[in-house]
Amino acid sequence: MKATTLEIDDILERYPKQPQHLISLLQDVQAEYKYISPEHLALICDHVGVPLTQAWAVATFYKSFSLEPRGEHEIKVCLGTTCHLKGGGRLVEACERDLAVARGHTTEDLRFTLDTVKCVGACALAPVVMIDEDYLGAASIPSLQKRLEKL
Amino acid sequence: MVNLTIDGRAIQAKKGCTILDAAREHGIYIPTLCYHQALKPIGACRICVVEVKPGPPRPLPACATYVAEGQEVVTSSPKLDAIRLELMKLVLINHALDCPICDKGGECELQDLTHALGVSVVDLEAVKLPPHKDYVSELIERHPDRCVTCGRCVRICRDRVGALAINFTLRGYFTELASGGLPLDCEFCGSCIDICPVGALINKVFKYRARAWEVTRTEMVCPFCGGGCSYELWTKNDRPLRVVNYDTALLCGRGRFGFPVVESPDRLKTPLIRENGGFREASWDEALDQVAAKFKEITEAAGSAAIYGVGSPRATNEANYLFQKFFRTGLGTHQLDNPGRYTYVQALKGLAAVFGFPQVSGVEKVAKPPLPFHSPLTTTEEAKASGFPLVLGKLKDLPKADVALVVGADVTPELPPLGWALNTALERDTFHLVVANNRKTKFDRRAHLSLRYKPGSERLLIAGIIKSLLTAQPEWAPTVIAGGFDEFKENINKVNLKDVAKKTGVPEALIKETAARLAQAQAPAIIFGSELMGQDKGLENTLALADLFLLVGRPGAPGSALYPVAEKNNTRGVCEVGVMPEFLPGFVPLEGAEPGPTLPEMLDLLEKGDPKAPQALYLLGGDLLRQLPNRSRVEKLLKKVPFMVVQDAFLTDTAKLAQVILPVAVHAEQEGTFISTDGSLGLLPRALPVNGVRPDWQIISQIGSKMGFAMSYASPKQIFAELALGMPRWAGMAPKNGGAAFTAEVTGQFVPFETDISLPGRRPFTLLVGKSLQHSGSFTTHEPCGTLTITNRARLGLNPADAQNLGLAEGDFAKVTSSQGEISVPVTLTPELPEGLVFLPEHFSQPAAQRLTLNSNLVRVTIQKG
Repeated sequence: MKATTLEIDDILERYPKQPQHLISLLQDVQAEYKYISPEHLALICDHVGVPLTQAWAVATFYKSFSLEPRGEHEIKVCLGTTCHLKGGGRLVEACERDLAVARGHTTEDLRFTLDTVKCVGACALAPVVMIDEDYLGAASIPSLQKRLEKL
Repeated sequence: MVNLTIDGRAIQAKKGCTILDAAREHGIYIPTLCYHQALKPIGACRICVVEVKPGPPRPLPACATYVAEGQEVVTSSPKLDAIRLELMKLVLINHALDCPICDKGGECELQDLTHALGVSVVDLEAVKLPPHKDYVSELIERHPDRCVTCGRCVRICRDRVGALAINFTLRGYFTELASGGLPLDCEFCGSCIDICPVGALINKVFKYRARAWEVTRTEMVCPFCGGGCSYELWTKNDRPLRVVNYDTALLCGRGRFGFPVVESPDRLKTPLIRENGGFREASWDEALDQVAAKFKEITEAAGSAAIYGVGSPRATNEANYLFQKFFRTGLGTHQLDNPGRYTYVQALKGLAAVFGFPQVSGVEKVAKPPLPFHSPLTTTEEAKASGFPLVLGKLKDLPKADVALVVGADVTPELPPLGWALNTALERDTFHLVVANNRKTKFDRRAHLSLRYKPGSERLLIAGIIKSLLTAQPEWAPTVIAGGFDEFKENINKVNLKDVAKKTGVPEALIKETAARLAQAQAPAIIFGSELMGQDKGLENTLALADLFLLVGRPGAPGSALYPVAEKNNTRGVCEVGVMPEFLPGFVPLEGAEPGPTLPEMLDLLEKGDPKAPQALYLLGGDLLRQLPNRSRVEKLLKKVPFMVVQDAFLTDTAKLAQVILPVAVHAEQEGTFISTDGSLGLLPRALPVNGVRPDWQIISQIGSKMGFAMSYASPKQIFAELALGMPRWAGMAPKNGGAAFTAEVTGQFVPFETDISLPGRRPFTLLVGKSLQHSGSFTTHEPCGTLTITNRARLGLNPADAQNLGLAEGDFAKVTSSQGEISVPVTLTPELPEGLVFLPEHFSQPAAQRLTLNSNLVRVTIQKG
């Protein structure tokens, strides 16, 4: 995580006050803070002139937006067809056990967020786990644990 | 017309209609779930699939497929039935099976469909989702586990109401109805409840009170504003339980949640007679005898002109007609008026000056006796009409206009149906909305041009628009045949556009663009509300708009008209039936007799102690103290009247000054008709017992009879027949119908108007006394009206910057002082208001907004903390 974060006002100023900039603003806020807090969502709504319910609907529709704080590292376990057959399910369960967090949630110390995804397009490497931007191919429980310990 | 066959039946359908419309018209059943006749079809649920030949090799949704020549449609086949069954199973997969306790049981479309399609077992399984029920929001309860995600509520909220308060959250199987993770904070119109096919949205006022099959349903007109919506009142054991509009599902919060006013514990139950400084209960005979005797005594001593009457925009046409008959025929005077004098009548006078009084020809009596509440007159082929009522628009035509100029009206609080009509119009890309107001209103968000003028500068702004139009196009000829144009042009030439921009605060470019839009318009509509009419110069404001309409209006084009807001249910009716000194019923100017004083003139007479001042007042409802500007003066003057009779349902502040109070029937306790803002007739049938009170018409008739006037009637039907016989312009009029068509002859006369916009006084703030969304007059401010749970008291709207300067926070009490008085009121921060403008709703008696006003709904005030 960066040492300093931009002020929300600076992000808002990037876009004119028009409804069509809602998604761009949500993306920028998500990128900067890793999630969209209720306060930020309200500020974005005021800025672009969109009712809160509409912005809420958009923010919950796309998986790339999160309304809850995200961890420093994102673990995405693939549960696509191939990974599923190759035991992706066991990898998630192992993560849940080791990190003490349910899938879709963030650890209490805000270190990790555990998610499952439906295919990351790397079936040849199945089962795959994505940690932040990196792919961990042919993952096993020990290799995953090792990688996580490094972080 | 298009020829097609549905299930082998050859039928004809209108071009551009859908297969579903065509099938329904011919009584062919196609099951639907997400379709509603009031909304645009989205074809989401796919229950209505049909096979169409020629067409793609897959079933098509009947609700979103248009008819075509030679089409062969099959609505039922083993394949279609299998698809529908599968879809229903998917819908029911996680549906809460709580029909026995669900309020929708018995009128649930999902229940009906499950029966119709014979779904007996759901052999599918899915993860159970946690139901995020919302019991916290006011008036509306949400049960997402009963939701079928048809999107009807989302669409009506977005497309018709324009509130965008509810929407779906998440997606796919997890889709759920939500309001942004917070309790609902919307207009609380409840339209989402009635459009919901299942029980996902529940009306808290009605919840658990009855089942749909146990109630008696009576269709009637809504008495909470001048919109003239109709709804079904549900009653059980003589108690009103709920109102539903099955046609469009649209009603506003006052209509939907205001009806419990009938059961208010503060209703008056027996007549009251003043005695020893207080009131004592009296029998009807005693009270009516006393009124008649006292009226007789006064007429004998001081002449019949000593009695003055004030009619009511709440009461029915029949009651108001009898009221004016009591004065005109009974007493032989024209000493009467109605409180609309301060708002709507000003507009009517202005329109009459420009477009002339109504003239009607070619009307004859119908051959056979008409049905009850149908006009006994009909039009012949040569029927012609002229005069100002012809330029008053109909709400159903408004969406056909191509430009709408809204001036001085916060549309939705003034008249909710007008807002729905504007939203419908806005669906067309070619429609342009220009909103001019002194503050940001709901429709500013959707307006193509948004003009923000300084309070009270409407007429100067209009002068600026006219000047700009005539400067840009010097050869412009009025689109309506009108006299006095040259003189008018000279007057307008004196207007300096720079000066207008400075004084109104509207940039010159915006004025010019508005003028250009209006000049290009093929069907411009002009909408104006009581904010503009309720000023002391309301007449001048209307003249300005009427002149503008002469210049650009196209009365031949549908939708191109003037739309003044008639605020209350019968504001227009009380004027049409002649409760004004200068007009007989049907706006026939009084000739050959001296009209009595108007309401403000009558108050002036009382102030001067003039010998012509009335000795007795007969008030047909209407809390004058709450409605009229300058409350303390009105109070002082009313106290001077020796004998005052008030007919009202509540012990209002005005009623407290009376000698005799006669309790009246309200809402569906009486029978009668209203004239809505667009001139259509709304029928109020009796659906509730009267419990000791009496309808207005009966009281007037009984007092009249006791005074020896020939005024006994058996029912409002009989009064309507007599009334309508004398109203040629009502020819062909029937409930929910504005009457027969006349060949319109719209001509006008340019009338110069005043452009001085100074507001007296030096105090720093301007107070606007206006309407709140949840209330209609003072009628909805009585417990147990649901409207009170949303807006329970008056709050002073204040710009946050002003509030900060004054050291006021939300909920703090502010002392508001004007030259007329002082009140203390909690503030609410309202960013929509510009700095320097504050807003107070007029509906409440404590604190009384009218204590501050002088002669207008605008007044300069000082605000202090405390």
